[in-house]
Amino acid sequence: MLGLVEFGWTFVFQIVNFLILYFVLKKYLFKPITGYMSNRTEKIENAFKDAENKTKEANELYEEYKLKLENIKEERNNIIKEATRRAEERSDEIIKVAEEDAKKLVERATQDIEREKQKAVNELKDQLSSLAIITASKVIEKEIDQQTHQQLIQKFIDEVGEVTWQN
Amino acid sequence: MEGFGPRIAFELPIFGGIPISDTVVNTWIIMAILIAFAVLASKKLEKIPKGFQNVTEAIVESLNSLTVQTMGEDKLFFAPYMGTLFLFLLLANLWGLLGLRQPTADINTTFGLAIMTFIAIHFFGAKSKGIGGYLKGFFEPLPFLFPLNVMGELSTPISLAFRLFGNMVGGFIIIGLLYGGLTSLSNMIGLSFFPIFQAGVPIIFHLYFDLFSGVLQSFIFVMLSMVFISMQMD
Repeated sequence: MLGLVEFGWTFVFQIVNFLILYFVLKKYLFKPITGYMSNRTEKIENAFKDAENKTKEANELYEEYKLKLENIKEERNNIIKEATRRAEERSDEIIKVAEEDAKKLVERATQDIEREKQKAVNELKDQLSSLAIITASKVIEKEIDQQTHQQLIQKFIDEVGEVTWQN
Repeated sequence: MEGFGPRIAFELPIFGGIPISDTVVNTWIIMAILIAFAVLASKKLEKIPKGFQNVTEAIVESLNSLTVQTMGEDKLFFAPYMGTLFLFLLLANLWGLLGLRQPTADINTTFGLAIMTFIAIHFFGAKSKGIGGYLKGFFEPLPFLFPLNVMGELSTPISLAFRLFGNMVGGFIIIGLLYGGLTSLSNMIGLSFFPIFQAGVPIIFHLYFDLFSGVLQSFIFVMLSMVFISMQMD
């Protein structure tokens, strides 16, 4: 039994014990865990910063794409408008050309008809005159009186009329 | 029982026999517990803390932040010392709950710790202020107050050591007497083989002297050590 307030070897032992405990706890408890925690804090901070940056970047990209999309829309509208305009122009042109062609065609047809008619009339006239000549020569060959002559001509015309218009 | 001094557990057979008191033996047990805890705590650290790691991280974190709050951001390197001191004192003061002698109910323990605080006060004071500035502090505010300043400085470890020792040994003696008295009371009603009164009654005393006083005194000791060291440094 030692005295209640008595200094002895215990004093030395307790100091040594405490220093040993201090070094061991420092090495195995405080240093690793504090280091680990501050490391983690840093990591978390970095992760947050990273996430923030990424969000910012994404937002920027989003804005950019939105703008681009709007531009594309506008461009598309322009293209459509342009195409419509061109198509309209083209169709107008085609119609105009067609109309002109039709008009020309009609004109030519009319001209052709006219010409054919003229030709027919001319031919008719030619035939008439040649026939008249033939008739005349026949009449001359055979001397006939006025009456007979009249009759002949009448007969001829009748004949010719029937024959010619039959063809 | 013949007095409340520490008992000699055994003697080391060197230098003509060095007595090892039960204080030292109990301290070794506490050390073993704390070292086992520390080794287990830092053996497997995971990125996402779970269970046991949460507990150890909370302990270390709160001890670190207590040091930073009391001493300042630049004195975080005291955290391991103050943390060890707090954990050791906490376990030592609560040792009485197991019915064993608290290592802090021995003036050798408390004075040893107080001397280490004393050395830290003056070593780090001189280191941070420079020897000249440190010595000048003894002649302030007026030169003739030098003896008083020296007395004040010397009284610091003594008051630290005896405050803790007095509280713990007081509780230890009162609880020892209480158990003795309760045994006598049991004997008086003829229950010498079964001291019935020892059940229940001492709980209040244990709560006050061991739990309340023990935790409070460990906190006070650590806080005062921190305040004295940081005051001498600033």
